[in-house]
Amino acid sequence: MEWTSLTDDVSKPAELRLVGDFDLYNAPRFCRFALDKIESGWPGLLLDLAGVGYLDSTGVGTIIRIVQALRKKGAKLRFRGLKGSPRRVLEMSNILPLIEEVS
Amino acid sequence: MRTLIVRKLIVDERNELFVEFSSDFERVREYAALVLTDCPESFKEGKLLEQQLSEIIKNGIKHGNRRDPAKRLRVWFDFRKRVRFIVEDEGEGFKELDAWNDFYRRRQEALFREDIDAFLSLASYRGPRSDDDDGGNSLVAALEYWNGGMIYNGAKNKVGVVRWFTGGSG
Repeated sequence: MEWTSLTDDVSKPAELRLVGDFDLYNAPRFCRFALDKIESGWPGLLLDLAGVGYLDSTGVGTIIRIVQALRKKGAKLRFRGLKGSPRRVLEMSNILPLIEEVS
Repeated sequence: MRTLIVRKLIVDERNELFVEFSSDFERVREYAALVLTDCPESFKEGKLLEQQLSEIIKNGIKHGNRRDPAKRLRVWFDFRKRVRFIVEDEGEGFKELDAWNDFYRRRQEALFREDIDAFLSLASYRGPRSDDDDGGNSLVAALEYWNGGMIYNGAKNKVGVVRWFTGGSG
């Protein structure tokens, strides 16, 4: 899985486009990246998952850790483009109520 | 009018419904895809079935066999009318099963109360051998997905799962 930043303004919530499989092999690397950025001052995060076709429990664990880290700073994790089996996995994991979806 | 129905027993003479793997963590998804080679497309639900099977294989290799390449993972499978797997590892068994059930009960109660802070504090299961990449989330989703049940043997190193695709299952 690769990710691309869609914003340059550090005063606004970061926006990332993810492409590929958000799985046990890729999620830990993304988790470290996102948590470091949140720690260094990201005021929020929007993930565009339109390019993600596979999400597993390690990816869900990463999302939970990002939600927790942002919540400690009074910020939110938002999603765009969530569909297919990744949406089902988040739904079955009861994580959907924790996240905000935008169009 | 009465109809005579005579069922018959079937033997898997070529052992087609069984496969055995080494405990190679880097090949978890490859193993799942291999097991699903002859699975009807209608059962796959996109990549959902592969993902759920991968979780069980991952748990067996990582938590059961502790990634020991000398230990084997055995998978029995059946795709007739529904999907059924039995996955056995050579580990000590899922000794934290009762603790996990307690975690899950508290997690679901927090969700039911809409107590988001409590839910978040329970969002990931942390057992004695958990690492940063573990969260117990695979089992949360598994209980929803395997609508025909998820049952461990007494030693807790062998799990059977079933998913039906008819009768309103989702």
